[in-house]
Amino acid sequence: MRKVAAALFFFLLFGLLLSCSTIDCPTQTNVMVRYGFYDAAGRVDTLRDTLSIWSKRKNGTDTLLLNRGVNKTALELYISYQHPEDVLFFSVTDTNKVVTLDTVWVKKDDIPHFESVDCAAHFFHTLTAVRSSHHLIDTIAIVNPTVNYDTSGQHLHIRFKAHR
Amino acid sequence: MTRQANISTSASRLIVSLLLLLAPVVVQAQRFLKIERDSVPFFQGFAVSVDLVGAAMMYFGEYGQYEGALRVNLHNQYYPVLEVGYGKADHDDDVVTGLAYKTAAPYFRIGGDVNILKNKHSGNRLYFGLRYAFTSYKVDVSRTMFEDPVWKWDTSFSVKDDPCSQHWAEIVFGLDAKIVGPLHLGWSVRYKMRLSHNDGTLGQTWYVPGYGKQDSNSLGATFNVIVDI
Repeated sequence: MRKVAAALFFFLLFGLLLSCSTIDCPTQTNVMVRYGFYDAAGRVDTLRDTLSIWSKRKNGTDTLLLNRGVNKTALELYISYQHPEDVLFFSVTDTNKVVTLDTVWVKKDDIPHFESVDCAAHFFHTLTAVRSSHHLIDTIAIVNPTVNYDTSGQHLHIRFKAHR
Repeated sequence: MTRQANISTSASRLIVSLLLLLAPVVVQAQRFLKIERDSVPFFQGFAVSVDLVGAAMMYFGEYGQYEGALRVNLHNQYYPVLEVGYGKADHDDDVVTGLAYKTAAPYFRIGGDVNILKNKHSGNRLYFGLRYAFTSYKVDVSRTMFEDPVWKWDTSFSVKDDPCSQHWAEIVFGLDAKIVGPLHLGWSVRYKMRLSHNDGTLGQTWYVPGYGKQDSNSLGATFNVIVDI
């Protein structure tokens, strides 16, 4: 009987030890598209004018993604979880208060990403196509189609027409 | 030439030193693995066991496993073991994350134990062992409808029968105590190491049949009811 009691005691001890489990959700869960600005020679370009970017919500109202950015060489923007194409409006205001508006369309495939039932689900994306109007934007191109938690590289390169 | 001679002398010294260092370990290992010479027959029969921890987890929680084992008793010292089980998880829509996860699949472990008790024929066991384990399973993961935080579009996903698999190894330490007749009770603690895994298309899996939750620690335990046959 003492053997049984000893066995049970040790088992309960180890049971207590094992019951201390942890939840290891990733700390960096922002899934952002990173845009880089480059000139015709492939050098980093600085947009000295004021840049604002917004999109339309499901109900048709505007949602501001970037508010009055100045001296930008790159930026990060949210990407919709599951909408097949994001439509972004780039508004550039120069020092003479002249506003130039361009529209950018970003098509993508959405891939659900699961870590654990305790961690919020996110979506990773594969960019499949990008196009824009050409009032100030000269070209826009995908350089890395994979959008996930990785924050190291850029996904889209934008070349602006001649500007200040 | 001189330099080469010096190098070879140093290498020889190093090898001799290492051999001398290893000698006691080898002797200990030989003692540990040596079968005692006595009148007890080499083949001592079979034992079957069931694990109560996994079954209790299954009954009281949302995941667990039914598991049984067959082991061969060789001279009360070596125990080749086959463990077979059926693991299952059914996590309904999580109140915080809205995620549901479902899987159910069989698994097996194969390996052996060594009884390290001095008196190996007492009917009790204190043992170390190793296991290799494998499972092939499919998972269903779904997320109830939620709103995209920026664009406010309705968002959800559901993936069904996503094929996954995992190979892993376990280091086992445990004890069995003879209770009465052929009946033994015992527990084991296991340190689990993933050898390779295919987590399907979703990134990761949560509960792996036989292995447990991936976001938990690497330790596991069993409480066994064992019957000698």
